[in-house]
Amino acid sequence: MANAVQDIQIRHLSRRFTRADGQTVTALDDLSVTIKAGEFVCLVGPSGCGKTTLLQMLAGLLRQSSGEIEAQGKPVLRPGPERGVVFQKDSVFPWMRVIDNVEYGLKCRGVSKGERRERALHYLERVGLMQVAQAWPKELSGGMLKRVAIATVFANGAEILMLDEPFGALDYVTRHQLHDVLLDLWLDGEGGRRRTVIFVTHDVDEALILADRILVFHSGRMVEDLAVTLPKPRSADDLVLPELVNHRHRLLQHMGLIRPAAAKPGQ
Amino acid sequence: MSLTTMPVRDGGARRVTRALRFDPMAWLGILLLLLVWELAACLLPPAILPAPLGVVRRLCSEFLSAPDLSYFGLANASLLGSMTYTAENVLLAMIVGAAFAIPLGLVTARQELIRAVIDPVMMTVGTVPILILAPFLLIWFGVGRASAVLLVTFYVIVVVYVAAQRAAENIAPVFEDYAATLGASPRAVLRDILIPATIPEILGGLRIALAGAWGLEAVSELLGAQQGIGKIIEVLAGATDAQGIMAALLLLGLVATVCDGCAAWAIHRLTRWKSSTPVAGA
Amino acid sequence: MKPLSPSRRRAIGLIVLLCLAAIWQLLSMIYPAEAQPGEPMIAGWQVIFTKTLLSLSDYWQGGLGVRSVAEGASRGYAAACLTLIVNSAITLARVLGGLAIGTLLGMIGGLAVSWSSWGRRIVNLPMQFLRTLPLLAMVPLFQLWFGTNLFGQIAFTAYGVSVIVFAGTVNAVANIPAIFIDNARSLGASQSQIYRSVILPGILPGMRSTILLALGTAWSAVLGAEYLGAQSGLGYIIVYAQQFAYLDRMFLVALVILVFAAVFYTLFDRATRKLLAWAPQTSRREIAR
Ligand SMILES: Nc1ncnc2c1ncn2[C@@H]1O[C@H](COP(=O)(O)OP(=O)(O)O)[C@@H](O)[C@H]1O
Ligand SMILES: [Mg+2]
Repeated sequence: MANAVQDIQIRHLSRRFTRADGQTVTALDDLSVTIKAGEFVCLVGPSGCGKTTLLQMLAGLLRQSSGEIEAQGKPVLRPGPERGVVFQKDSVFPWMRVIDNVEYGLKCRGVSKGERRERALHYLERVGLMQVAQAWPKELSGGMLKRVAIATVFANGAEILMLDEPFGALDYVTRHQLHDVLLDLWLDGEGGRRRTVIFVTHDVDEALILADRILVFHSGRMVEDLAVTLPKPRSADDLVLPELVNHRHRLLQHMGLIRPAAAKPGQ
Repeated sequence: MSLTTMPVRDGGARRVTRALRFDPMAWLGILLLLLVWELAACLLPPAILPAPLGVVRRLCSEFLSAPDLSYFGLANASLLGSMTYTAENVLLAMIVGAAFAIPLGLVTARQELIRAVIDPVMMTVGTVPILILAPFLLIWFGVGRASAVLLVTFYVIVVVYVAAQRAAENIAPVFEDYAATLGASPRAVLRDILIPATIPEILGGLRIALAGAWGLEAVSELLGAQQGIGKIIEVLAGATDAQGIMAALLLLGLVATVCDGCAAWAIHRLTRWKSSTPVAGA
Repeated sequence: MKPLSPSRRRAIGLIVLLCLAAIWQLLSMIYPAEAQPGEPMIAGWQVIFTKTLLSLSDYWQGGLGVRSVAEGASRGYAAACLTLIVNSAITLARVLGGLAIGTLLGMIGGLAVSWSSWGRRIVNLPMQFLRTLPLLAMVPLFQLWFGTNLFGQIAFTAYGVSVIVFAGTVNAVANIPAIFIDNARSLGASQSQIYRSVILPGILPGMRSTILLALGTAWSAVLGAEYLGAQSGLGYIIVYAQQFAYLDRMFLVALVILVFAAVFYTLFDRATRKLLAWAPQTSRREIAR
């Protein structure tokens, strides 16, 4: 049974931007939602609907215009190692070797050399990158860089993991391999506890395969909150199961790809 | 809070316009600089460091005519006249240098053999300060406009050659190929791809060359000339007139800064398509 | 067109330089005009490495057991070589001293100012002005302030270098992609840890070209100071010879400077290349600059 204190509480959260031309954009509009500890949540929505903005506020990288965020019982004011982020763009430090990148967060917190090396190697092995531990990031492919970023946040012991369209630029096969890696890591968190994962994507199928819960956004507002009960791991074949077909239909409707009038039976 | 990236997270285009627009904070910086200067001037004897106000006054009073200076037999005894002479030389050198260097740089970026011949010369010349040529030019061409203009021209050639070559080299080949698949003729590729795509970097090179040109022109005049702002500085240095030197330097610095600012503005206008980095994460 | 291999390019470069030397020799033979009686406008290599080199002993002022020409000794290779060595050492001391002090000050200042975006905005305009203020025109001012001694020349060089390095550092910090700083912060790095592990390595690629520029500036500054008032150094010998139109001596000393400058440049280039092994190549082609 998850502890309510461990949950992420978001209350009336808004964020506005002023563009260079003076126009005000509401990137996120009065969002209230609770994300339970250990949940795997996917945020989906079309480009520009405020997913990155929300994630950055959860990470403490961006200040909200109004509203509150509470994670693990404390208001989120600044970034911290308990909330790891895998960024949309490549964020692996090019001037550190792969292994040093994975160790970085631990080093910042003064973990001893031997211990952090051990942890880093463990997670590098989990993401299947043992053989490139000593390589420079420029020698790695895009998918490998994402794996380094994932290993880094897991090695850092983050209880809450946020990923911003991490696999958006990857090919089909690599993407599915990384889904498996991610689920594998999520399923056995520290001390047998599952970690909380918040996963941003604009790919409906990706969300259906990964999520326990799907939050749909449109123009800065949350328009749907779907629970996915099918047990995990799921594969691409499961997308034809009735539950996922129904969810898929609703999601596509929200994205404007299926007009309600032309809707197929179901639901 | 300092290193937060929040204020910066608004795309490149905006950052550029903001840099060009005047920031009140920038004026505070100028004010601080003047304050430090004024304070230092209070502590040091005026023969070493004159106060800013005196320097500005001197600049104004000798701007159009400087009777003190005409005793030294200077042709254009006013600061304006001398500055004009210096500026003419710099402009001439920029034009001649660019006319040589741009075609050469563009061609060598595509013609390996020509490049292999010219690069070693440019590299060798490029690693030594061009200033080394000044005494030679003074002997070969005598004291006068020619040797000063030539010195600056050489400098402009080296800088702009490298910039033009880099520019042509850095165009992703995909653009040329793409245009070719759309049916563009070689001439159209030159007009629509090579020239527009290389202009930003070439202009950047010209801007760097311009910035360095003022100092070279001035030092050439210091070494031997009948007129120019450098000549004025030399004459005043002989008289250990710190205030006069600083007035001349201030004028030179202002002209150089204004020219640099104009160049930056022109580059910004001509390359607006380039600085449009998308909004982060959108 | 197929690109030439690096070794091929290097070979052509060497041939070109040798050709230039040969053309010089040819010119000296077909154009025997003299700037002064006995002083050819264009001196052939056989003259430069014998008579010209010997004549440099005129600038030896005695000491180290080698008597100067002024003391009645005849010209000799020992005095000539000592002239070159001692004056090279003086010039190099000025270049390196100015470069080291200027780089240190400029970098510390740049990093300090970059600590906050306020600092960056405040220094922006004054920095632009100081950077565009023509350095070489300031030689007389610095001589007025510090005199024509070693300290004054190093101060002048250090000033020129520090202005460039300062501006380069501020720019380099501003150009570090925000995502690296965000990443470090979200992994739990403190402000000072970010400075050490993100800002310092992150500015290195930008600093490389800045310091190469500063190297060139240091040479210019030292040459300018030596042309205009210093009483020693390679540049001083050049202007001193210029007053008597001794073109061959000027040429020989200029060659020495050229060799030093090229060696410095190459050494620095090599050293930084190693330090930046991690940095992705920006240019499509590996160029030696
Ligand atoms: N720094 C910013 N300045 C101005 N507008 C911004 C900024 N960041 C995001 N926006 C705007 O906020 C909206 C949401 O952006 P974002 O959260 O990045 O969308 P996405 O869901 O694609 O990640 C978009 O309209 C975007 O233009
Ligand atoms: Mg996004």
